[in-house]
Amino acid sequence: MAFPAHQRAGPVCSACAEPAVFFQRHTGLHLCGLHLIEEVERNVRTTISSRQMICPDDRVAVALSGGKDSTALLLILNRLLASRTDVQLVAITVDEGIHGYREDTIRSAEDLVSRLGIEHHCISFSELFGGTLDTFLKNRPEQACSICGILRRKALIVGAELAGATKLATGHNLDDEAQSVMMNVLRGDLPRLIRDTGTDSSGLFIPRIKPLSYMYEKEIAAYLMLSGAWNDLPECPYAVHALRREARSILATLEYRYPGTMLNLMKSKIKIKEACLGKIPSEPIRHCRECGDPCSGDLCQLCRLRQTLTL
Amino acid sequence: MLLILPDKSTRHIETAPLPLEAILLAEGINPLEVMASRDGRLITEDTVVTNADEIRIILISHGG
Repeated sequence: MAFPAHQRAGPVCSACAEPAVFFQRHTGLHLCGLHLIEEVERNVRTTISSRQMICPDDRVAVALSGGKDSTALLLILNRLLASRTDVQLVAITVDEGIHGYREDTIRSAEDLVSRLGIEHHCISFSELFGGTLDTFLKNRPEQACSICGILRRKALIVGAELAGATKLATGHNLDDEAQSVMMNVLRGDLPRLIRDTGTDSSGLFIPRIKPLSYMYEKEIAAYLMLSGAWNDLPECPYAVHALRREARSILATLEYRYPGTMLNLMKSKIKIKEACLGKIPSEPIRHCRECGDPCSGDLCQLCRLRQTLTL
Repeated sequence: MLLILPDKSTRHIETAPLPLEAILLAEGINPLEVMASRDGRLITEDTVVTNADEIRIILISHGG
């Protein structure tokens, strides 16, 4: 098959004549570096404003693992909020204690906050729970993500409280969110499917915001590459055990064949949530009988976990 | 063409000019899960590549 010379040079940006560095499959647009960066920041700005994620006088704690998503999140928020004197950014890093993995990402997080001049709080599983994730997972690596999820959530809350945060921002991207929708459907977990952690009328929780939730993972990676902030970091060694890994692979295949699949899953979630409005009674917020933290049952997830892990 | 894979291993591929996407799929790689660069610049998966090219494949690690 013969290709014309201009095609061999590569496609050009749909917005200008520069060489394209990114093909946005769901829109059919080709983007050069400059227009990809603009598109990513426009997308995040729209996500934040349309959901009123950040308000005047907010102190936003970014959960910064040092991996690509949280790095991109901090970089983007730092740029978007640069002119806002009424909003403060801080970063929180949780050291779970994963040998051969966390050391590099923590170093990357420290370099980033130092370069941006952002207040940084580090908190470790060892300090909070008396041991590393590696030690807790001995003989049960297949439970890694569920155990780590519970401990990480608590660590982030403690970190956000220590930092005086009014919002906790996480780097969940569209791929992550679509995978969660699919996993909750597969598990038949309707309450979790429609749960909203972005607002809290009770005043008991620091609301969580996900400004990257409408950005494809590949767009984020390309943004970092073009911003000179890409670090070729390893994947968490425990990820091999997760259901999420299978959901990710299935969804990536579907997205490749049918561009826009992940966005459609998010639309479906919103429609299901709207259809359920007022029909599913929300569980009353109770307080854990062991630690007093707000929870839905008699014991919070962390205290239930403490009993099995002897934390 | 020299294809440099994410694990740093290399593959020499003799091919007529083809979109990179076809090369990736033949290697069992979903184009959505990687980025690719030629001469240090990111290229799109529908860029036509030739035998003279050196293409580096960058894995988008998950999480973080």
